[in-house]
This record gives sequence, C-alpha cells and structure tokens, in this order.
Amino acid sequence: MMTTIAGRLSQAFLLLLVMSVIGFAGIHSVGNPVYNIVNIETATAEDIRNATIALGLDQPLWRQYLLFMGNVVTGNFGKSYIYHLPAFGLIMSKLPATFELATTAMLIAAPCGTLLGLLAGRRQGGMLDRAILKTSVFALSIPSFWLSMMLILVGAIAMGWFPPGGRGATLSLLGQEWSFLTLDGLRHLALPAMALAIPKVALIARLARAGTIEVESQDFIRFCRAKGLSPRRILFRHTLPNISIPIVTIVGMQFGGMLAFAVVVETIFAWPGVGKLLIDSIQLLDRPVVMATLTFVAVAFVALNALVDLLYAVLDPRVRRSA
Amino acid sequence: MTYDIAQDQLLVVSNLTVKHRTATSATTILNDVSLNLQRGEVLGLIGESGAGKSTLGNAILGLLSADFERTSGTIRFEEMALDRIDKQQWASIRGRRIAAIFQDHTASLDPLMAIGRQLEEAILATNDKTLRHEARDIAVDLLVRVGIPDARERYHSYPHQFSGGQRQRIVIAIALAGAPDIIIADEPTSALDATVQKQILALLRELVEETGVSIILVTHDMGVISDVTDRVVVMRHGEVIEQGVTSTLLDRPQNAYTLELLAAVPRLRLSGADVKIRRASDTIGPAVQDSGAPSREVPILVAQGITKVFAVSGLGWLRNGTRKSALREVSVELARGAITGIVGESGSGKSTIGRIIAGLETANAGKLGIDGRQFEISCPGRRSGLLGEVQMIFQDPALSLNPRMSIGDTLSESIRFGSRHAHDPKRDVLSMIGRLRLARTLLARYPHQLSGGQKQRVCIARALLAGPRIIVADEPTSALDVSVQAEIVTLLKEIVTEQGISMLFISHDLALVQELCSSIYIFKDGRVEDAGPSRFIFGHSQNPYTRSLIDARPRRFTH
Repeated sequence: MMTTIAGRLSQAFLLLLVMSVIGFAGIHSVGNPVYNIVNIETATAEDIRNATIALGLDQPLWRQYLLFMGNVVTGNFGKSYIYHLPAFGLIMSKLPATFELATTAMLIAAPCGTLLGLLAGRRQGGMLDRAILKTSVFALSIPSFWLSMMLILVGAIAMGWFPPGGRGATLSLLGQEWSFLTLDGLRHLALPAMALAIPKVALIARLARAGTIEVESQDFIRFCRAKGLSPRRILFRHTLPNISIPIVTIVGMQFGGMLAFAVVVETIFAWPGVGKLLIDSIQLLDRPVVMATLTFVAVAFVALNALVDLLYAVLDPRVRRSA
Repeated sequence: MTYDIAQDQLLVVSNLTVKHRTATSATTILNDVSLNLQRGEVLGLIGESGAGKSTLGNAILGLLSADFERTSGTIRFEEMALDRIDKQQWASIRGRRIAAIFQDHTASLDPLMAIGRQLEEAILATNDKTLRHEARDIAVDLLVRVGIPDARERYHSYPHQFSGGQRQRIVIAIALAGAPDIIIADEPTSALDATVQKQILALLRELVEETGVSIILVTHDMGVISDVTDRVVVMRHGEVIEQGVTSTLLDRPQNAYTLELLAAVPRLRLSGADVKIRRASDTIGPAVQDSGAPSREVPILVAQGITKVFAVSGLGWLRNGTRKSALREVSVELARGAITGIVGESGSGKSTIGRIIAGLETANAGKLGIDGRQFEISCPGRRSGLLGEVQMIFQDPALSLNPRMSIGDTLSESIRFGSRHAHDPKRDVLSMIGRLRLARTLLARYPHQLSGGQKQRVCIARALLAGPRIIVADEPTSALDVSVQAEIVTLLKEIVTEQGISMLFISHDLALVQELCSSIYIFKDGRVEDAGPSRFIFGHSQNPYTRSLIDARPRRFTH
C-alpha cells in the first residue's frame, strides 16, 4: 500500500515537472509580456528596459525557469504582472465560483445521464432508446457558446425566469463567497450550470447505455429474473452498481475538465471563475497566473484520479484488500 | 407424440415448436417437442450443442428473448398454460413455483452484492408475508442446508470470496428461496471440478428426496445423467430422439444416436487385465507406449524445480500486494515419442506448467531442458527460444483462431514463422490438411464458417506446421461435443505414432488421460501430488487424492 502511494506521488511529481516546462516554454513563445504592461503609446525604450529588468525578463529563459521553480518550492508562484497580487491567491479567490458551478453542473448531469442511459439500455432499439441516442448526438455536437446563448435567449430574455449573467448575491462561508447559499445566487447558477451539464448528460447517458446493454446480457441478470425480482429492483440494485465504475471514471475526469476549462460558459455568463482567469491571463501573457493555474489544474486532476480509485474500492468489493 | 395428462404430471410440454427469427430468416430451434415431468423426479435433458435443450429450459421459465417465437404447442404447469399467461402471472410463478440454476456459478451471482443480501432479496421477492429480519434467518438456514460452513459469519461476503463449488451451492440456495415445485438446472455442474461436481449432484438428489421438488437437469454429460436422473430425454437438432427411464435407456438405447452418444463417452478402466475395446472407433491400443523407438528411455524434456508466483491483480493503486503461488518446485519429464498426461482440478497449476513449457509464460525459478539444451524460462516469448521447439493446442478452438484471417492464411503464417525451413509452404499446407482429413475448400474460409471439430483440426494443423518437437495440448477436447471429442483423440494418437512427436496432454478427465497417456502426473495446489506410469496410477496408486479423483467418476462409465 505504502509503495503504491509513493509510486503515485512520484508520478504526480513528474507530471507537474513536465507540465511546468511545457507551460513555461509555451507562454514564453507566445510573446513578450512587457508590451502589455507598459503603455506602448507613450513608453520610451528606457521604460521598456526598466520594466523588463523589473520582471526579471532580461535573464536567459533557463535561468528564469530555475528562479520560478525555486520560488514554487517555497510556495510562491510570484505576483501577477497585471493585478500585482500573489498569483496563487488570485486563483483561490476565483475557485469557489468555479467549484460551485462545476459541482452544480455535475449534480445535474450524473444522475440525469445515468438514468437516461439505464432506461435506453434496458429497452435497446426501442422508441426511448432511439430518441435518447439521437438527442445525445445533437447535445454532444452543438458548440457550447451557441448552447449558452440559446439558454440566455430562452431562459433569461424570452421567459425571464433566470438572470442572464453574473453571480448574484453571495454569502460568506469558510472565508469564501458562495452563490449557492442564496436564492438569488441559485437563480444565477441555473443557466450556466445547465449549459455545462447538457453535453455531459449526453456523454454519461451514452456510456451508461452501453454499460447497461453489456451488464443486462450477463447471466446474473437472467438469474435475478428467474429468482422472481421485479424489473425495477434488477435495474437499480443490480444493473446500476455494475455499470458504475466507468461512469465514476468519466464523471471524475469531466469534473476536472469543468474546473479548469469551462472558459466559454464562464465568459458568456460573466461568471468570475478559474477558466475565465486562465484565458484572460494567457491573453495578457500574465505568466505567474498562467503557471499557477496550470499547476492547480494538474494537482486537481491527480487528486480526482486518486478519489476515483478510492471510489472503485467502495463500489467493487473485488478491488478491496482481502483482510 | 401426445401424452395423457395424468394427475401427478407437474409439467407437460406438448408438441412445442420454437423458431428463432432474424431480419432475414427463421430457424427452427425446437421441433414438435413433447415431454412431461412428474412430482419429485429428476428428468435429464441430454444433447450436444445446438440440440435446443437450453432453449427448452428458457421456454419453460418464460425467459425466451424477443427474437424467439413459439409457433405451436403448449406448456402446461399444473392447471396453467405457461404459454398463455401474462407478465403479472409470471411474477407469481418465477422463483416461487419454477426456479432456475445456471451453468456458470461465477456469472450467476451479482459480483457487487453480498451473497446474504442476494439470497435475502430472493426470499423477500418470493414470500409475500416474510419480514426483513425473518428473511435473514431463513437465508442463513438455507445456506446451512446447502452446505455453506459458517453461514452466519460469511453472510456479508461477496461471491468472489467463495470457491466455485460454494458459489454453485449459494445459487442452489437462492433457487430454493421460494420453495419451488420445479428447478430447471441448466448444466449446473459443467463448470465444476469432478469431485465438486459429485458433491453438488448429491446435494440436488438429497433436495429432491427431502422437499419433493422436481428437477429438469439440462446437460451434455452422460455421467451426470447416469448418476442422478430418474428419466432421461435425448435431444438432437431440436427434436426429442428418445426418452425413457434412465437405467433402461442407458442399458438398451433404442436409437442409433443415443448409442453413438453413449459409445463416445470415455470410460475408465480399473482392472488392468480387462482389455476390451472401449470405443466403436477405437482400434489403436489404450496408449501408444508400445510403438517405442530405441531412444525412448531418455526423456525429451526435463523440467526441474519450476516455480511460478502470480501477483493477484486488482484495479488501480489499491491493487493488493498479495502474491499467489501457482507452481511450487514442480519437476516434470516428458517421454520421447509418447503422450505424457497432466491431470488436475482448476487452480492446480496444470495449465501454468503447460504455458511455461510452451514459452508463453515465464517462470520465477527452475530449469527446463529439451534434449539436453537449456532454455531461458525466465525470459518471455521469443527470447526463451522455446516457441519454435514447442507448439500449443488450446482448449477453445473458437477463441484460438484469428476470426479475420482465412484458414489458409493462418496455416501458412505458421510455416513462415515456425522453426522449420520450408521449400514449398503451399504444398506443406495442402499435405497437412490432407493428413488431418480436412477438405481443401476450407482454406479459403474463415473460422466462423467451420464446425468446432474442424476448427480444432485446424489448430492441430497449425501447431504441426510450425515443425515443433513437442506439442502441449491444454484440454483440447473440453470445449467440443462428445462425438467430436472422440475424433480429435484418435487424431492426436495418430500424430504421435506417425510423426514421432512428443506430447504433453493436460486434462481434468481421467478417462481421456488413461486412454492417451503412457505416464501421468497428478497435480494439486501447484505441486505434483502423484506420478507414474498410467498402469500404476490407475491400478495400484495408494495416493488418497488420486483415489478420490477416480472415485468421482460416474460408476456406469468405469469398468
């Protein structure tokens, strides 16, 4: 057990190292951040040189990288070039918004997708199955900016049920501001969460459908029928647990993706989350923030992977250690 | 055939015809099948694959899938016409009046639910008045009844924590949950070892005596039929060929096909002097030991101290670190130009040693020499140098041929990558399929177009074309029908006598091994339990495990 954990940690460490090199070289090759910081119209060559020295950009790239890594080891990602705030603190201030949006979206997507998949798989080739399959292709292939705008058009402008953007009223909990604690905040959450959830519902439904078809063809389901169980009990007590492992895997990965890359939805709904921060920072070549965000994303994925593995053991007794 | 419906007839199937429909065609699976089942009797249903016996079982349970259609005939259970009742009525029959046991005990239980809960839900589903806490006591009683030791302690264990035999006992307990009138047992012991099979059959027989339940026992195994059934129905191609009281039918079969089925069952000989012809087709002696060449004294293969440890696999990083020994310092010798047998039950390591000798598996320790040359058995695959010297024939020919390659391509591939230098590969392939009595037209076909016996012949041809000195045959007849088994056995004997190839024959079937092998190793728990010449093992061995294997054979097929 200890050796596997150690192995996992060293893998994660290597991943972070590789990611930092790629991220660092990538952002360097995009352009020089100095031009985003000084006023191009008025700055003299002297101003630009001073700014370059102040940011440490006059050093060769490898030395910049080593300096950056040296700081990271002490827990310091540097200050944002733009906001002049510690980069990591900046991300942490955006995290609650992203976290509650991703969680809400997954709380919609996972149960809906699983249920639709179970129903479709049980009656393979039936009306419901065909309808779900066709809708899911549609839901997976529409671009998310179009889906977001349609949701605003229908849910906010035409019907006026939900506000079109922003976070709404928030309440403080554990030192952070949360929207889900107020009714107004929940109304603001609804549309962006749906925009994120709809493609995930389709993805999970297709996965659950395939799993259901496979599991229901197995002998133990036939045996459950022969022993007189009702179809509903078989579906929820036997089929559902048996299809849950691939679903848990995909839910974990998709959740990680939503934490980091819900950029389009966050931008359209003016949701001040991590995704939006990342895109803004890349555009402004704000290297400390980009690096801090990428590191956070990588750590989040590693943690989610470990959580998924733990869930395997909860779900499947065969994975558990035999005492 | 129509039967009078007497009072004690529990179930009467009359003139049942079932068709399987696809988009383009309809195949008749059951044709005009009539049979009856009396209270408290065990009715055997025997036939080879494709006989329709499982379809009949499913039809009685109302579990035919939508692409099957009953075109005529009736199934009457007491006063009910099972072919005419609706879903609601089925709910009051399935599990309560008619229960089922399936072949694969591993697949019959939900792997993610504790066995106690699975039994409990069956009890609650089939007894309206039972309360939850009562169900638990009933479940424990049932588990004790079917012979699960420490039932109360193991109530919350999962299926994978039980042995195969115990799992099948749990399945039987679940079938008993609703106190049914009929249990349909579809190949209930085919996936079990011989000694365990015997215990499970004895349990079923006891239950019949005790509770008066009737059992329809679907099987392909004449041994099972002779051991437990009262009456037997022989089926072939969806039709009932013959039926009658078991002992009468086995002693004096009226139909040629029944006779053929009986003749094809391998029989165990225990009295050494009593040499009789055991098979109609069998003209070669009991073993090929008398065809010996002068150099027979020196074994062709010597394996010493082979040890193999597997890491127990799991998912992800929670994989537990326990390791399981498959083989502990096993030593085996293979006689030149003869067949050496390895017998053992599942988990005995018999397949692992075969795979190590064939270079398909590495060993953790031990030495392997062929004609004095040592091989690197700790190296995988080609590097071991074994692949050219040793070829393998696997249990299931359907799984061991590439479905996307024509038979001709499969065979010529074997020549190209084999150890032998071939001048004219095409001619070699043609002469080989001629020798194995396969038609030339097969070369252009694909595996799914061949019968099971043809496929296994192709596998044998493939192994021979690579030019090996040793062939490892791992249960080469177990996936085949008995009538086809006999052909393959004859063929293997011919190969060894005619081509001077040495063979390692791995099997769980003592009678087969006796018929083929000059010397035998008996494996148990990764060790050689008993070894010696065939005559010694069957005639004089005092090893208690060997005796128990011999005793597990059906008496009728032992002389």
